[in-house]
Amino acid sequence: MPPAAESWRDILGPQALDLTLLAAFILVTLVSFFRKSVRLKFVTLVFAVGYMGFFKSHLISIVDVFGVLDRSLPIVRYNLTYYALGGFAIASTILWGRLYCGRVCAFGALTQLMDAVVPRRLRIEPPAHIERRAASIKYGLLASVVVYFLATRDMLVYRYVEPFWMFGLFGTTAMWTGLAILLVATVFVRNLYCRFLCPVGALLGVMSKLTVFRIKRWSECNTCKICEKTCEWGAIRGPQIVETECVRCDDCERLYHDRNKCPHWLIQIRRPVRQV
Amino acid sequence: MRIRVEPFVAILCSATAAVAIAQRIITNPKPDAELKQLFPTAVAFSPLGGDPLHFKAYAVDPRANPDAPFIGIAFWTTDMVPKEHGYHGPIHLLVGLDLKGTITGVVVDYHSEPYGYFSVEPPKFAAQFKGKTIRDPFIVGRDVDAVSRASITISSAARAVRDGSRLAAGKLLPPEALK
Repeated sequence: MPPAAESWRDILGPQALDLTLLAAFILVTLVSFFRKSVRLKFVTLVFAVGYMGFFKSHLISIVDVFGVLDRSLPIVRYNLTYYALGGFAIASTILWGRLYCGRVCAFGALTQLMDAVVPRRLRIEPPAHIERRAASIKYGLLASVVVYFLATRDMLVYRYVEPFWMFGLFGTTAMWTGLAILLVATVFVRNLYCRFLCPVGALLGVMSKLTVFRIKRWSECNTCKICEKTCEWGAIRGPQIVETECVRCDDCERLYHDRNKCPHWLIQIRRPVRQV
Repeated sequence: MRIRVEPFVAILCSATAAVAIAQRIITNPKPDAELKQLFPTAVAFSPLGGDPLHFKAYAVDPRANPDAPFIGIAFWTTDMVPKEHGYHGPIHLLVGLDLKGTITGVVVDYHSEPYGYFSVEPPKFAAQFKGKTIRDPFIVGRDVDAVSRASITISSAARAVRDGSRLAAGKLLPPEALK
């Protein structure tokens, strides 16, 4: 009996459900993003943690970076879902910025959901100069883990630089302890891992320099600090949005559209009154 | 803030040198104990050879009796289906086949799968293939146990055993095995 030639039906059949669910998830993600809807965003966060995380454990990982480096990636035809998510992460980052980090990544979604339930008074806001330094740790971590991998080919180092294995539910005591410390720290400093440590986030951050559709800023943003104070990611510095840190969470964009809060609109509304 | 370039260049150069020097022996070149595990009744094994590469298992030492027939074959899936790979490279499996095309056992050797430690490494994974034949479908979730969150690894390993065994049987076993 020779190896039977597989038909496309044999290949696609087992992947159909996963592909459909991923497509639906990406669709809801994009709708929530374009409509700047808070409620829909929470739907995507919950789905990201539940389905993409605990059910599929499907996240972009440093292992995928290793795979690109030594050209050792899964076979395309059997793993269309894998490539669909990878393609979406890259394409969305180039188009809009670190959208993937902000609402598709299961771990990012988990810490954002934590942030929504943890009492505000526990939070520590790191001062801007420390935050700026800390944000660059992730680039150093990306560089060193890549060099370490190229030197040793020890792919298992992924367990110690990212916590995504937690969704696989299997880990050593040391791994679980490290994760517990990280999550406790996240209670006080929100999205700590994504902002300061994540090597994948660092890579997407570099890519986000190419962002095509950027967040609009008004001339009033030069002096107004409302958005800068609201930004949970430390991505606004004066009139500038730092693309590498911005995960397109919509918080500032919702303010821009709020005619009762954004000075841009308040000034415009007041002007005609003065003219009368 | 000025960033000095020299340390990064130094790190990169030393890493490149380390890559060039490092020699990695991945697959066990002389898996005697593993072959014995696949064919407990065999007394001798041929060295890895032939096209495609395989081991032959003998119940009578072929050095004493040159006409002794072989009782089965064993092969590395990486030799039989070299294009098959999982999440991060091929999963090195040693598969034993008897003359009827029944799998006598599977041994998991080297792999570089991130989630291999809870999918292909537990003995339960290899054990389930013993007694399956090349005619079985090998569909994950049906006749091969699914491992949730490690589906890329498990499907690749199942395909490697299935396609490797079918190819090996077609090329190396007597025609009766294929009936």
